[in-house]
Amino acid sequence: MDHFPTNWGRPRNDLSDAYGTFPLAQRPYNGGKDMFAEGVKHTQQPIVTGTSVLAIKYKDGIMMAADNLASYGSLARFKSIQRLHPVGKYTVIGAGGDMSDFQYIQSILDDTIIEEFAASDGHTLGPVEIHEYLSQIMYARRSKIDPLWNSLIVGGVKDGKRFLAYVDLLGTTYSASTIATGYGAFIAQPLLRKAVEGNENTLTEDAAMAILEESMRVLYYRDARSLDKYQLAKITADGITVSESRHLQTSWSFAEGIRGYGAQTQ
Amino acid sequence: MNSLAQRFSTTSPLAHFRKIQRLADEDEDVSDAAWGSQAGFGSLTKGVPTFTVPNLPDPTAFLRLHTDDHADPNCRIKIQHGTTTLAFRFQGGVIVAVDSRATAGSYVASGTVKKVIEINPYLLGTMAGGAADCQYWETYLGIHCRLHELRNRERISVSAASKYLSNLVYGYKGMGLSMGTMICGWDKTGPTIFYVDSDGTRLKGDLFSVGSGSTFAYGVLDQGYRWDLTDEEAQELGRRSIYAAGHRDAFSGNTCNLYHVKEDGWRFIGNFDISKMHYEGPGDVPGAPGGGYGYALRVEGKSSANPPVAEAAA
Amino acid sequence: MPDMNSLAHPQQHQFNPYTENGGTILAIAGEDFTVIAGDTRQSEGYSIQTRYAPKVFRLTDKAVLAVNGFAADGNMFVKKVRQRLEWYRHAHAKDMPLRAIARLIQTMLYARRFFPFYVYNILGGIEEDGSGAVYSFDPVGSYEREACRAAGAAQSLVQPFLDNQIYFKNQTPAQDTSHPVHLPLHSVLALVIDSFTGATERHIEVGDGLEMYVVLARGNPALQSLQDLPGAEEVTGTQAEERVFVIRRDLKKD
Repeated sequence: MDHFPTNWGRPRNDLSDAYGTFPLAQRPYNGGKDMFAEGVKHTQQPIVTGTSVLAIKYKDGIMMAADNLASYGSLARFKSIQRLHPVGKYTVIGAGGDMSDFQYIQSILDDTIIEEFAASDGHTLGPVEIHEYLSQIMYARRSKIDPLWNSLIVGGVKDGKRFLAYVDLLGTTYSASTIATGYGAFIAQPLLRKAVEGNENTLTEDAAMAILEESMRVLYYRDARSLDKYQLAKITADGITVSESRHLQTSWSFAEGIRGYGAQTQ
Repeated sequence: MNSLAQRFSTTSPLAHFRKIQRLADEDEDVSDAAWGSQAGFGSLTKGVPTFTVPNLPDPTAFLRLHTDDHADPNCRIKIQHGTTTLAFRFQGGVIVAVDSRATAGSYVASGTVKKVIEINPYLLGTMAGGAADCQYWETYLGIHCRLHELRNRERISVSAASKYLSNLVYGYKGMGLSMGTMICGWDKTGPTIFYVDSDGTRLKGDLFSVGSGSTFAYGVLDQGYRWDLTDEEAQELGRRSIYAAGHRDAFSGNTCNLYHVKEDGWRFIGNFDISKMHYEGPGDVPGAPGGGYGYALRVEGKSSANPPVAEAAA
Repeated sequence: MPDMNSLAHPQQHQFNPYTENGGTILAIAGEDFTVIAGDTRQSEGYSIQTRYAPKVFRLTDKAVLAVNGFAADGNMFVKKVRQRLEWYRHAHAKDMPLRAIARLIQTMLYARRFFPFYVYNILGGIEEDGSGAVYSFDPVGSYEREACRAAGAAQSLVQPFLDNQIYFKNQTPAQDTSHPVHLPLHSVLALVIDSFTGATERHIEVGDGLEMYVVLARGNPALQSLQDLPGAEEVTGTQAEERVFVIRRDLKKD
């Protein structure tokens, strides 16, 4: 141990075993590399990924948007992936991050819904319960240092109450009237807040749809991992509707004038 | 190191902890902790403490990455640290003196820490190193000292108590614990001090000082120490040594807590403000010289900043 | 924005199970009351995640816990403490005393000594003897009873202010006077509000909203004034010996 007085109370850093004592957790190793040692390891990294999800509260409920792209690094690999997933009758979850982890989450939640249905005890899971359950799963996995690499938005309406909340790979949760994940948190969130904060109870469906479309367009202009094809989910007292894929109208003529944006002639 | 071999090893300390953890996890549903009657030591319900260890090839490196503010000042989890402590044996018993500053990085997290842990009426432990490590394990030691009394109808010896602690922390060697403590008390053999640290080192001795301010304390202590010190002189020496450390070491300071252990157990002498000691002295206490410890008084009228009257006149 | 440096190099993802969610918490003990407060902003990096995420929680009618650091760890920790307190209630048919809760929190934090909760805890409430008390903890469980404590992002802004105003550090009393040992509730509330408005001005991670929990000891004369205070909401549980109130205030949102 480092007995130098000023180093007292610091976490130990036993890189050398001065007295040849056992057991020390870490010692310098100068032998050959054990090829099998790397074998069992599960802290991964995201492979096939989805980008931002946007969601807002409005007069009748919750509206959510996510594009249809699943990227493989910088490759736009799958262009018709659905990232908004209805769970039960009151809830939609939207996912960014690793798509295989998201599919796993979908299967867990679908199983849970079936189990709850089979119990037929008169209780049904609403968005609050699903978000709590999901948070516990995400936090438990991060605590095993084996995270589900996603940022998820859970939105829904049940018993006349709107609910919109977030959970990510660390188990961090929060609830707000506008939520955006990924690049959306930097680019779309300010636009959403400006339109929604304070207007949650007056914003109409058309207005909500317009602000989400505009935000998706801005994202498509600047987020290189995004697509101009997206879906909208709407959760109201009447139930869930996930739209068909929509196409964003964009205009790129301005790019010519911006150095470093489009192709440059000189 | 061969991490695969280590992962599946059944003898390494890590494997030991994982096994305990697994056992604890398995019957979590019927844990006695549910009855809330474990004196607060919920993690000790299995007889051995159970600790959560991150599921990584090298948990110690993980802990260092996130808690070592010395290697990386930007690290997030700043554990509080204690600093100057001393204890010495003399004809009148044992003197224990400590400062009261706790730092987290360069921030003075607290100036009112109790670094002397009262294990029982005859035993004291001091705190240097990780504040939580010392507080927790010395409280735990207190439990076992009491159990020893109940089982054996006599008080535990200082030697046995300190050995209990050193065996305990040795079990966690290399896992990142950090504590340097002096177990002080009076038993059948008379006044006794044992130094115990998180390496597993355990030393019997007459005089120790531990922590970043220990060098300064040793300086004063060594030149003033004699076996036949009177009680008042001994208390003053302890106080004066902690003052010196508090004055010169940035990680030590605020106040000094002083204890005296005699045949009938320990006694708290007092709490002394270090800057007050500098300017005004410790106040009207036995052994106090009268006046402040600061050298400004001693050089009054003699230094260039405060020249002698005669010189000023000329 | 994403770290451009890491984008330039081939990425090696080392999973970091911690993050920092900003905010500040604070507690001050009076003679027969305690105030425990926290702002309600939750952030990560330069992004405000939400303007309302509570950091202060009522545990019992005489104990309130404030948590700060990594929000997910904090919420989980509060959940686990509450579970243990419920078990205690079932076993002993009464609420756990404050000093026992403090020791419980120490052991719960220390059980994670090798995989710490990244949480700074401040526990406030009323002791069995009716005095106001504040206990502050480091992430691995070392703790101490104090009269006041600030923790979190702006602790280094708020604590010196408190040292000056509560402990009267670096203040000399006027001739033939002395500093009061305990401050009355209305001055403590004023100090808390000033601490947070000040921290909001000078720290980017502090703001949006302020929640102040007030725990009053039995028969506290300040009860009436608190009940009349506009915006104060009583959140006492069923037993109602000690009384717990929440006072909410807006902080700047920029």
